[in-house]
Amino acid sequence: MSARLEVRDVVHAFDGVRAVDGATLSVEPRTITGLIGPNGAGKSTLFNCVSGFLRPQAGRVLLDGLRIDRRSPHRIARAGLVRTFQTPRTLARMTVLENVLLAASGHPGEQLGGALAGRRREREARARAHELLELVRLEGQANSLAGTLSGGQRKLLDFVRALMTGPRLLLLDEPMAGVGPAVRVQMLEHILALREREGLTFLIVEHDLDFVMRASDRVIVMTDGRVIADGRPDEVRADVRVVDAYLGTLH
Amino acid sequence: MNALASGGFWAFVGVVAGIYTIFSLGLQLQFGFAGLLNFGQVAFMAIGAYAMAILVVKEGWSTWIAAPLAVVAAAVAGVLLGLPSLRLRADYFAIVTIAFSEIVRYVATNENALTGGSQGTIALGKVGEAAQYNAQWTRFQSWVQGRLHLTSKDAAMLAIVWTVALVLLTLVWLAVRTPWGRVLRAIREDEDAAASLGKNVLSYKLQALALGAALAGVAGLFYAWQFFFFSPDDFQPLLTFFAWMIVILGGLGRIWAVPVGAAIFGFLFAGTRFLDFRPLSSLDSADRAYVRLIVIGLVIIGLVVLRPQGILGKRDEMVLE
Repeated sequence: MSARLEVRDVVHAFDGVRAVDGATLSVEPRTITGLIGPNGAGKSTLFNCVSGFLRPQAGRVLLDGLRIDRRSPHRIARAGLVRTFQTPRTLARMTVLENVLLAASGHPGEQLGGALAGRRREREARARAHELLELVRLEGQANSLAGTLSGGQRKLLDFVRALMTGPRLLLLDEPMAGVGPAVRVQMLEHILALREREGLTFLIVEHDLDFVMRASDRVIVMTDGRVIADGRPDEVRADVRVVDAYLGTLH
Repeated sequence: MNALASGGFWAFVGVVAGIYTIFSLGLQLQFGFAGLLNFGQVAFMAIGAYAMAILVVKEGWSTWIAAPLAVVAAAVAGVLLGLPSLRLRADYFAIVTIAFSEIVRYVATNENALTGGSQGTIALGKVGEAAQYNAQWTRFQSWVQGRLHLTSKDAAMLAIVWTVALVLLTLVWLAVRTPWGRVLRAIREDEDAAASLGKNVLSYKLQALALGAALAGVAGLFYAWQFFFFSPDDFQPLLTFFAWMIVILGGLGRIWAVPVGAAIFGFLFAGTRFLDFRPLSSLDSADRAYVRLIVIGLVIIGLVVLRPQGILGKRDEMVLE
């Protein structure tokens, strides 16, 4: 069986600085893959290349064997690769429920003049959105403006919004950053449960190593725009190159 | 003074407010819902007015065919403007739109053969002949006047403009409440977020720009019919900023704020003509006409201080990020 996501020799430079410099990795279906590395390792740039927000200057990105590296972000999202952002992109002046409903895919009502044709889809979407909000305990705020949510709640909202699209692969950019302990536990549980029950695949950039080691089936380590280690959490933890990358080569 | 206080004068003010309602409704859709910083709305009004007048005078087409085509022309102009420029960041897009509106005005001024040049629509026809584009419209207006037993043509125009304005307001109000409108608002809030959830941001922005342009085109038609004659000078960038005042006065992202803003704007704009007392009467009437701009400026400043969300806006939405 082919990989869900394959990244081959991807390069992206900003004014000559090669932020991603020939990165190669793959993500297997129904797995949780953690992507770690020191600041400036190129993780976020790689995320942007994979999700279409930046166009790779060289290399390929394949989703289930299909090339997506020339596609625009919305087409990549429709193909089933959906991302979240480091700082949650909450649509502040829309309600929490609307934030989630927006993510419904294949909605005929989103065509101009398609409101009548989209009524059935809208009902389904509402039911699913309430389910998801229930899951992350935001149902009580469904009709509040999303701008009133706390930082941790916004992270959860971003997360269920991405789920609402019905993705094949979820890219989470630092889901634990700026999140309190209670939400951290909740997030970890959701990710594990979704992989288990719905067979979702995750690629997660995270600085919280404890979380990465506990959640991930595989851990990929980047530094200077390249992948330097790739394996089970315990293997990666023991890898001397990883220790070097994090602590410098002085020791 | 008596003439100003007459029903005819207020009917005129009402017609102008109605035209501005339709004109500003387009901007409300573009900026208030889709977040497009359009500073060139007046160009689409000019295109609507000119397309209709040219088709009627030069091609001899029926008003009832020329008018809808003129609205389509305005929408197409919106698409053509948007395709290369909507990928720009919001502030650069704003610069392109204002440049576009000036290009349209300069082309209208200089393409004598097409538009009659700086002389305006009167020079659209043969040399030495004052061209008229609204014979059919005037007949329709008289017919409406007769059917509704109105005392003046102005009253008939008032009824027609506001009927159309109310229909358009209702249609846009319905449209923005659908999932389509939800996507527009999401793009206004954060277009990267919308794209990351599979929404074709460019397509929605083009739709909003084109629809808003079509509405300005409709306003252009009524502008042309109301004044019998127009020239490129009627489409100064100032008109675009009047629409901005109306939308901000009424409240952003609120459809029914548009007629409220337009009515207040129309009242202030026309009402300041009554400022015919000391010490203002020492100014001549042309200078006094500028006083209304000062008054409107003060009202806007006062509003920003006291009610930044506009008259119908919601304050709790303003303070959110």
